[in-house]
Amino acid sequence: MSEEPLVVPGTIAIPFSYAAGAAASRFLAELRDARRIMATRCPGCRRVLVPARSFCGACWVDVDDWVEVGPEGVLVTWSTLHVPLPHLAGPVPYTLGLVRLDGADTDFLHRVAGDGSGLARGTRVRPVWGETRSGGLLDLAHFVPVTPGGPDGLRDDRDRRG
Amino acid sequence: MGHELLRVPLTLNLTWRYAAGRSFSRFFRTLREEGRILGRRCPGCRRVYLPPRPLCGDCFRRLEEWVPVGPQGTLRAFTVVHFPFLDPTTGRPRPVPFGMGLVQLDGADTTVNHYLDETDLGRLRIGLRVEAVFREPREGTMGDIRGFRVFVS
Amino acid sequence: MKWRRRFAIIGTGQTRHGRQRDDVSQPELVREAARRALEDAELHVGDIEAVVLANMELFEGRAFPELWCAEGAAALGKPVLKIATGGTSGTSGAIAGALQVASGVFETVLVVGFEKQSEGQTAAGMALTDPLWDRHVASAAIGNFALSISQYLHARGVTPEQAARVVVKARRNAANNPYAHLQQPELTVEQVLASRVLAWPIHLLEMCPTSDGACAVVYASEAVARRRCPRPAWVRAVATRHDQPYIGDLDDRLVKMRTLRSAAREAYREAGIREPLRELDVAEIYEPVSYAELAWYEALDLCPDGEAARLIEDGVTAMDGELPVNPSGGVLSTNPVGASGVIRTAEAAIQVQGKGGKRQVGDVHLALVTGYGVYAWSDVLILSSRPG
Repeated sequence: MSEEPLVVPGTIAIPFSYAAGAAASRFLAELRDARRIMATRCPGCRRVLVPARSFCGACWVDVDDWVEVGPEGVLVTWSTLHVPLPHLAGPVPYTLGLVRLDGADTDFLHRVAGDGSGLARGTRVRPVWGETRSGGLLDLAHFVPVTPGGPDGLRDDRDRRG
Repeated sequence: MGHELLRVPLTLNLTWRYAAGRSFSRFFRTLREEGRILGRRCPGCRRVYLPPRPLCGDCFRRLEEWVPVGPQGTLRAFTVVHFPFLDPTTGRPRPVPFGMGLVQLDGADTTVNHYLDETDLGRLRIGLRVEAVFREPREGTMGDIRGFRVFVS
Repeated sequence: MKWRRRFAIIGTGQTRHGRQRDDVSQPELVREAARRALEDAELHVGDIEAVVLANMELFEGRAFPELWCAEGAAALGKPVLKIATGGTSGTSGAIAGALQVASGVFETVLVVGFEKQSEGQTAAGMALTDPLWDRHVASAAIGNFALSISQYLHARGVTPEQAARVVVKARRNAANNPYAHLQQPELTVEQVLASRVLAWPIHLLEMCPTSDGACAVVYASEAVARRRCPRPAWVRAVATRHDQPYIGDLDDRLVKMRTLRSAAREAYREAGIREPLRELDVAEIYEPVSYAELAWYEALDLCPDGEAARLIEDGVTAMDGELPVNPSGGVLSTNPVGASGVIRTAEAAIQVQGKGGKRQVGDVHLALVTGYGVYAWSDVLILSSRPG
């Protein structure tokens, strides 16, 4: 009998259902229904925190002052994945970016369309709303650079609301 | 905006490859190729361990000696499960009811937790003689023993 | 174990535990308990020097809960330790926090245990034991307790009615506890035994619930405790024992329960307790199922082996008995797994501090805490009104 060590395959398959909580639920509902990105302003440090949240982690105080931010913003940095990791929301090349939305004091992590070409730190970006209205983060599908040309590249108000 | 409370669903579906290690490798290989169950004896306390393992936790000594055990044994604990909880390896509920017990195979000092053929509580008792039922063909995993049935000599 | 210095619990806080807390995310749940504990201790976030979190992250499908919950746990910029030891997570966390202050390295430590079981499949998580040997048949806490209970019944001859009395005591006590999940002040033995069988001989109503909840305690050195707290709950002893990896290694688990016997003996010796039933004023013990409480009475040396049923039938462990056990309602009434051990610790501290309200059992000078996890892990703590 050989002494070669055995390797046993296994799987773990469990469904989960995470409670967003009241604050994040409102943030997601606004994405879904009103196509707005909401933030909350901390009464302590005065920072506008996005996504909106129920307390400021730095000041440890309750936060209930809701403000809309964006919809446009500035690309702070980005990275493009070329390795198809499991659980990505799309095929590679898959670009993630940190966006400083207009009016916000924290960076918002989300997908940026494309393979990273043509992006620069400081590029102005705008959201593209998805087909779904499911109450998940991907109701906002991704960000794209604002088209150069007009002052903000948007043709009319329909582009703002998806 | 209402006071709707949302939930975000996510199903974890992950695959693994577990190294069995030397003790389990020999155990599973013997099970697969010879249809025999092996335990391992501690030189200190003399307990025969099932599953076989490299160390005795109480004595902290290496186990070397392999000891054939079973296929008959004695039922040391039992239950009949009616609760259809999720099997984490499949994501689906395990069919109920099923019998389950702790079996002390002849020659072993520890018991093995395994399925019982019997779901009639009237027929189950501590001290009952049982025997292993093997799966054919054997693959070299725990599933090669399908469970235990009442042994009538 | 030799303590280098005295230290105490000076504040506790917990959430209203329930089946499903959809109004809060996990960090918000943690913050609810942490904030109440800080208020009770009259400390600010900046006064806490280190944080210990207790959570079984697999049950809710999250990696690194200490990341997501750092803000909620007042932990930014501080050393954080996360402990995941099954049911003992909370008491292991409570012991880790205690040792951090006992060491002299920290003056104040916050311990928060939490779980949002409604988000996952606890039984599935519990069944993720050894993939080579155990997992194909693992049937979670219900299954493995049912096996051990069949042995306990065989050895001790207790009746289902005697076990059901444990549940009636627990759920009626819980009605005095504003935080408890299952409050059933009218529950009867008949109702317990009429509920459906989950795994013989365990009925639905005699098994603990799955709960969402969090609980926090604040430890402080003697110097801080004396300055801040009129009646600290001094920590007199802690002990932990783990055991072998498979249920089949554990000979007659509930009958022998060698880890709990050994841990209790060590803790009693450390605290100078010779006759626990007589000397202890209250006990908060970790009982996931009715029969377990009977087995723990024996393992904790509250009675000779074989006499546990007498304790429950004679009312010795009732609210007005010689040693009230689980005035909070215990794990049988509330079980957010990562929190449960911290709840036992907090409830014992609440008793010592005289803050128990309707569930206060009078003057408490010595309180026992136990934790139980997986197959046979045991934790024991002893709190006292006196620093020793």
